[in-house]
Amino acid sequence: MTCLPEKTDKKLGLLIDLNICVGCHACAVNCKEWNTSGITGPMEDLKPYGDDPSGVWYNRIHSYEFKKPNEADRTVYFPKSCLHCEDAPCVTVCPTGASLKRSEDGIVLVNPDVCIGCKLCSWACPYGAREYDTSGGVMQKCTLCVDKIYDETIPEDRRVPSCVSTCPAGARHFGDFADPNSNVSKLAAENDARDLFPEMETKPINQYLPPKKREQHKSRSLEHKVSNVKDALLKWATLDFTG
Amino acid sequence: MHPALSVIIFTTVSGMGYGLFIWLTANILLGTPLADDDVVIGSVMAFILVATGLVSSTVHLGHPERAWRAFSQWRTSWLSREGIMSIFCFGPMVFIAGQYYFDLGFENFVNLVAVLGLISSVLTIYTTSMIYASLKAIPAWHNNWVILGYQIYALSSGGVAYIVVAGWQHHMIVVYLLIAALIVKIATWINIDRHRGQYTRESALGLTDFGKATPFEPAHSQKNYLQREMGYELAPGRRAIMRWFALGCGFIIPALLLYIGLPAASLILLICFVGMMAERWLFFAEAEHVVRLYYDKDTV
Ligand code: SF4
Ligand code: SF4
Ligand code: SF4
Repeated sequence: MTCLPEKTDKKLGLLIDLNICVGCHACAVNCKEWNTSGITGPMEDLKPYGDDPSGVWYNRIHSYEFKKPNEADRTVYFPKSCLHCEDAPCVTVCPTGASLKRSEDGIVLVNPDVCIGCKLCSWACPYGAREYDTSGGVMQKCTLCVDKIYDETIPEDRRVPSCVSTCPAGARHFGDFADPNSNVSKLAAENDARDLFPEMETKPINQYLPPKKREQHKSRSLEHKVSNVKDALLKWATLDFTG
Repeated sequence: MHPALSVIIFTTVSGMGYGLFIWLTANILLGTPLADDDVVIGSVMAFILVATGLVSSTVHLGHPERAWRAFSQWRTSWLSREGIMSIFCFGPMVFIAGQYYFDLGFENFVNLVAVLGLISSVLTIYTTSMIYASLKAIPAWHNNWVILGYQIYALSSGGVAYIVVAGWQHHMIVVYLLIAALIVKIATWINIDRHRGQYTRESALGLTDFGKATPFEPAHSQKNYLQREMGYELAPGRRAIMRWFALGCGFIIPALLLYIGLPAASLILLICFVGMMAERWLFFAEAEHVVRLYYDKDTV
């Protein structure tokens, strides 16, 4: 049913730390690796070695340059996947009930056996989180690795989405945002977590931690750098490696 | 939005079909003297237009054989509601055509069915417009002009079709409707142009306090589904030409030709139809989806 649940018992989602993400695309690759043989896969890859490769990815890593007067430019890597919105417009527009939001954990899924491939849900999503599978004629999206996080044959501490377990920088966290004591709720509360595109009134579950403000860094003046180099040289000269 | 021919044909043709049926049922109810054959031809033509539209709309589905499933989610989905309403409308069309052609002896029900047909046609057009107007992610559609527009374009183009079917007895009303439709269309464009740029990339990223954001390395080397489906960029020069073409063929020329009484109603209908196709092409081509903020647009 495409009626949204009044309330979900859990609000499972991701917290992505933009201060830590280095834009390596490992999460996107491992997402594809896991999900192409997952419950809503395969994820198509057309002409992978041709001039114009195309295919479905549930997770894409954008990057942006931010410019502010009187500040050095900054680069922000920006992984984007489904935010499992509380007020998910992609679900309510679906005419078939293929798109759904689960009442137990809030995960938004597409049932590939019911989807007619009308694509309306992808028009309704402001975030570009849904991609159309031309081979299967159905819509696809991030499953929050629902077939991994509940898989009891996997050791408990590894029951996290593939993108989370693979991130070499530790920029991605998974947990229950409905529980104020969960890892993600605490990180969100302590770190000025952001909703993407609040004007769209979708109430995203996934949260993003912004890059650290410049003021919080020690200013790396030339003087500072010179003294660092001097210290290092001194260490070697005296062969004293303490501290 | 990518202007897909199947959806353009669907909304133009079925809008004209419902408009024609509204004209027909309204005239039955008003007691306009109509030849039985004209009522039959009109109902059949409305049926064919609506059916053509429906078939065309299933062409772009990934699984047309599952289309029946689209009737199930009427509680939340305007697309589902439209599907149900459009099937419902076939009832009055078939009844009226059958009654007038075979003289089935249901005269007493004609007015009741005509009322049903009229109301359900208006509601079907409304559900179609709401599919678009309910999408917040596409600001050019998310407004009441779209709702008003769909009704009035159906009535004006359906009115021209009515003249072809049943003659010129109300042609000045069609002229006035075409002028009203023209005004609504221009107001819609003014509204679109005024509201361009209300959403920013920084807000889409949730990072409004770090200065101005521009894309750095692209997320993927080739265009993906999102860019193919929602990344259509309409050049301003082309927009101007298409807007004039749509206004001219969709409203101005048909209104003028009807006013001077050119005795070639079918030709006027053809011109109007071509103009409405251009209007619908623009409806898609001009509508910018906010997902473009993550790609090529600073504001939408
Ligand atoms: S991010 Fe898009 S696809 Fe995911 S729940 Fe929100 S609206 Fe739906
Ligand atoms: S593409 Fe599939 S999931 Fe999306 S709205 Fe249509 S039927 Fe529902
Ligand atoms: S949660 Fe799973 S499906 Fe979603 S982006 Fe991460 S790896 Fe992909």
